[in-house]
Amino acid sequence: MSNFIPGQPLIAVVLRIEIKKLRQGDNLILGFSIGGGIDQDPGQNPFSDDKTDKGIYVTRITPGGPAEEADLRMGDKIMQVNGYDMTMMTHDQARKRLTKKNEDVVRLLVTRKSLEEAVKHSMGSYPRQ
Amino acid sequence: MNNSKNQMDSDIQKKIDHEIRMRDGACKLLAACSQKDQALEAAKSLQTCSTRIMAYMSELQRMKEAQVMQKVTRRSSDAGPMDDRLPCKGKVAISDLRIPLMWKDTEYFKNKGELHRCAVFCLLQLGGEIFDTDMVIVDRTLTDICFDNTIVFNEASPGFEMRVELYSCCSEDDYSAGSTPRKLASKLSSSLGRSAGKKFRAAMEPGPCSPVSNGGATPLLLPVPSVPGPKYHLLAHTTMSLSHVQDSFRTHDLTISGNEECSYWLPLYGSMCCRLAAQPRCMTQQMMSGCLKVKQLGGDPQSWTKVYAVLKGTSLFCYHRQEDVEANVEPAFTIAINKETRIRASEKDPQSKVQNICISNQYGGEEVTHTLTTDSREDTHRWMEAFWQHFYDMSQWKQCCDDLMKIELPSPRKPAPLTPKQGSLYHEMVIESSDDLSSTVSDILARRMQELELRSQLGTSPTWMSLFEENNPKSACRPRPCTSRLSGHSPCTPHRLPRSPASPHRCPQLSLLSSDASLTSDSDSHCSTSPCFHRHGWPEPSPNFSLLSSSPSRLRPRTLSLDAKLSTLQGRGYRGGGTLQCLCQSPPSLLHGPLPVSSRSPRSQRSTQTTLSCSSSTSSNSSSNSEGRHSPESSDGAPFSRPSPARRSLRNLRARLDPRNWLQSQV
Repeated sequence: MSNFIPGQPLIAVVLRIEIKKLRQGDNLILGFSIGGGIDQDPGQNPFSDDKTDKGIYVTRITPGGPAEEADLRMGDKIMQVNGYDMTMMTHDQARKRLTKKNEDVVRLLVTRKSLEEAVKHSMGSYPRQ
Repeated sequence: MNNSKNQMDSDIQKKIDHEIRMRDGACKLLAACSQKDQALEAAKSLQTCSTRIMAYMSELQRMKEAQVMQKVTRRSSDAGPMDDRLPCKGKVAISDLRIPLMWKDTEYFKNKGELHRCAVFCLLQLGGEIFDTDMVIVDRTLTDICFDNTIVFNEASPGFEMRVELYSCCSEDDYSAGSTPRKLASKLSSSLGRSAGKKFRAAMEPGPCSPVSNGGATPLLLPVPSVPGPKYHLLAHTTMSLSHVQDSFRTHDLTISGNEECSYWLPLYGSMCCRLAAQPRCMTQQMMSGCLKVKQLGGDPQSWTKVYAVLKGTSLFCYHRQEDVEANVEPAFTIAINKETRIRASEKDPQSKVQNICISNQYGGEEVTHTLTTDSREDTHRWMEAFWQHFYDMSQWKQCCDDLMKIELPSPRKPAPLTPKQGSLYHEMVIESSDDLSSTVSDILARRMQELELRSQLGTSPTWMSLFEENNPKSACRPRPCTSRLSGHSPCTPHRLPRSPASPHRCPQLSLLSSDASLTSDSDSHCSTSPCFHRHGWPEPSPNFSLLSSSPSRLRPRTLSLDAKLSTLQGRGYRGGGTLQCLCQSPPSLLHGPLPVSSRSPRSQRSTQTTLSCSSSTSSNSSSNSEGRHSPESSDGAPFSRPSPARRSLRNLRARLDPRNWLQSQV
């Protein structure tokens, strides 16, 4: 996650998180907030290690919401949503992809720093490109 | 004449010596340094010094040749007066150099691990001056090579030729002789591709790439020191002249040397963009000044005006007194001197026996002529000479004399601005708001709403809720642009509304709110009407109520108002969930944002609120950032629905228009 070179394949340790949307009237909510995007200023992202990373990050988790139940955490970087890549998306595109009305469940691939650390420690030298 | 020539000789000799010393220093540094960056920088200085030495040497040689030639011509028949007029010199500045690159898409995916990197810099030469730009490391991730430097040449003549050379050096391999085999072995073990193999071979030997060259100069007599370490090679070059000068960016073609096999190769697109500006001296300096008498043609023959005239740029400025020039007082009048001006000497004035100078200009179809006269014939002659020289300069510098081009002198190294992180209001907000607070707020609100719903089911509701139901006209003021009340601030918080007019002591609150609206707006367009209760008294309600109800009346779902209020609160960093009742009871103690929450347990709320509101006063500065925390920032899923698309789009628009914001969206 730290050496993100645009155009190059990326290797990261990800966690699969499945969130069932909660129905509120005629809205389906997931219960978290996202920040970032390729059209946003990456320097203002408090969660990213690399301040040029324009990925989508989770900035808030609504307590008691579906995201919290699914163990999504603040600071996670969303890599994929239902199979679609999120690393090169504008902010609005990302929001739209998460809030599709005809999808009840979103399956996210997220990565977080603690995961990488865990893998690194458990495997010794972590092969990384 | 000989003395001056000798002077110039010794000047150049001094410069050569200086450069030789610098070059020796660079060689030593190169041999001694271990870090790659240092080595590259040292190699760059070495390159620059070598080029400068060669330039000075060739200059010296030219001068010697000229001396010899002169002696020869003087012996021959006396040539007529030499061409007398020389155009004035000027400043030429090149800035914002940008060289686009053209990477093949296969290069991205072929070699995963290796990132071919080159260190590049530009060498610019004009006349006897050579400057280099900073060094830039280029690899696949860059689409352009950008040099931020502004290079100014001070002594350029209009026929100048500026040579721009791009040098590059491969920066991935180790150049010290000893370690090459090891590196090679390790690379070979991971099966090289064909072109990669060629690259390494080329890197190891000097190869077909041309050595350092200075186009067109005489061959160097001094031995070039061969130093181990990175060596720069010429990658591309071009020559610029007066025709390329323009007050804006232009693209020029580059001539590329080297080919794909060279280690220092970069896929250049083949052009270069830059801004080449020139300021001839005639535009920036006073070319001639003195006392004159001016009269307009066709005027009273006796109405000569005495002026102190200054010829500069495209005008003759006529001041009343000489002191005005330094005092920066506006000139009495200005006569244009440009390409369309015609100047001639008129016949001798019978009285003073001095020729007059007539300057004619076309001002919008009309011809206006000014007549100048001086006190003596010599003065007239000098002025005419000055005008002729000026015209000659303008004809030589051509487009540079139409308008003065701006040249920004490179300021002494400023440290890179450290502000981005500090200035980010987002960070301020993150620090101030802990998640607990925001969840506290949302919890409070959630609980209140739940109670509310319970109560409404049961038939009772807190008094303030009656506003929503009964006073439809009043409860209408909502996040619709409440322009009636506020100075153009759009979404105003709806919570203003829910005050029951029934209970008398709340009315003043409402009015207070509205009257505060204009005063307490923290210049925050995001509905800044946070009343500071403690500031004001309790005016009567009625007039203000009419204000409130001026917006179209409509009953809104409660959730939206709360939601909007919450987003306002959060946006403005107000961590307190106030209670309406609290404020009623003890207005002085509360500073900000009341909330239509029921009167349960006001005490505890109040205490939290006071503390929180203190903090919020600082974050109320984050006015612009409130917009960043834009659209549905409501906390819980439960009672709050997302605001209507219309409102969201308005907020979105506002937030998106501010580039400082780092948008967050709730999903």
